Amino acid sequence: MPWNRPLIIGLLVVLLALTWWRLQPGDEEIRHSRLIMGTIVEIMAGGQDPDELEDAIDAAFAEIERLDKLLSRHNPGSDVSRLSQSDKGGKVAAETAEVVALGLDVAQQSGGAFDLTLGRLKSLWGFEKETPTVPDQDALSVALAGTGPTALSLDGQQVSKQAPHLQIDLGGIAKGYAVDRAIAVLKLHGVTSAAVNAGGDMYLLGQRPQTPKHPKRFWRIGLQHPRQKDAVLETVQVRDRAVVTSGDYERFFEQEGIRYHHIFDPQNGLPARHCQSVTIIADSVALGDALATAVFVLGPKAGLQLLTQYPQVEGLIVAVDGTLHTSPDWTRYQVTP
Amino acid sequence: MKTPWHFMTPGDWLIVLFLLTTSLAGIAWVAAAPGGTRVVVTRGEQILFTAPLDQPRSIDLDGPLGQTHLVIDEQGAHITNSPCPRKICISMGPARHTGDLLACVPNRILVHIDSPADEEAPYDLLSR
Repeated sequence: MPWNRPLIIGLLVVLLALTWWRLQPGDEEIRHSRLIMGTIVEIMAGGQDPDELEDAIDAAFAEIERLDKLLSRHNPGSDVSRLSQSDKGGKVAAETAEVVALGLDVAQQSGGAFDLTLGRLKSLWGFEKETPTVPDQDALSVALAGTGPTALSLDGQQVSKQAPHLQIDLGGIAKGYAVDRAIAVLKLHGVTSAAVNAGGDMYLLGQRPQTPKHPKRFWRIGLQHPRQKDAVLETVQVRDRAVVTSGDYERFFEQEGIRYHHIFDPQNGLPARHCQSVTIIADSVALGDALATAVFVLGPKAGLQLLTQYPQVEGLIVAVDGTLHTSPDWTRYQVTP
Repeated sequence: MKTPWHFMTPGDWLIVLFLLTTSLAGIAWVAAAPGGTRVVVTRGEQILFTAPLDQPRSIDLDGPLGQTHLVIDEQGAHITNSPCPRKICISMGPARHTGDLLACVPNRILVHIDSPADEEAPYDLLSR
């Protein structure tokens, strides 16, 4: 064989290797969305094996659907409905007890700014109906009677109500808990890179998978501007963190020029007026959910004070006048100040 | 002294040329493969409709309550008519950024803005 043939063969090998390297797509990334818990739940997962990712995502959705049946106050057979219908409370599933325990803790720490017993108040305003209305003061007083951070108590899986008419509503925390459980299921299936997003409340597991455009990197999360529909207020980058935003622009109606939104101050039963939006970065979505609501009700000063009790939690508050307030270490997550 | 290239026959040169051409063509094909940003509409697990975001059109999408009317124009993809009771899907306005979602929960319609994998968006997800 002429001596230049090995040269050609070598060149062939190098070219094939280069071509193969260039054509490598990186990890597979699969994204599915479903309508569950009255919102859009989106799961993105990255990894090498698409079939395994599909199985993991299906299992995560199944877990969210299971928890929806347990925690929704609109499902007559749920733990929450049973508690609301009972005079004194009752035994609940371990998952429900976990949600109630976390909710009661935040209710206590926030001095009642977060409240699990506002079911009657929320029904009164009717934000989930076709025509929400502003209730009169008497109706608000009746709906708030007996509510508060001590209105419920928990002993193991036994939930006790202090008043028979209390209506339980875990809406401010159940969605976050379901996202946390979905992430746990994805981890059990060996997934190391994923995002579970339920209507803007999300957990980012690991890093964003590699794509041809970018290497593996932290997840970048845009935060909705509360007054400019198409604008992003800030972008943060995170891994293994929950990002939760509560705002007065999510669900609202206007009457006689006044905006009425769905985040209520348990003190008076009216929409809380101190903030436009609150974003919380936390270890879990359930905690982030509860704290976002509590801080929204408390306002910037008392809200940031509350966050000091949670060392792993950071927050960004847009006050009612549009000014920004952040917890001390918020800047470590910022991409664009 | 003769260099190694002096020992290359015309057939060898043809092989080298073929390899170079096919490698470069493969790379160019992959780079050019993705299309533009797309609108993807699903109902349950079923994809009802996909279309480029930059081509204006409108379509009626069947759901359990009736027809949801989707318009794609210069503002993005937006729902302009829906049989659902509260019309929240209409008030959501247009979706035009990668990852944006619109939903009509009662009519089980989900609209999603998708982009090619190699098109870098300013953020991965929107918290709101």
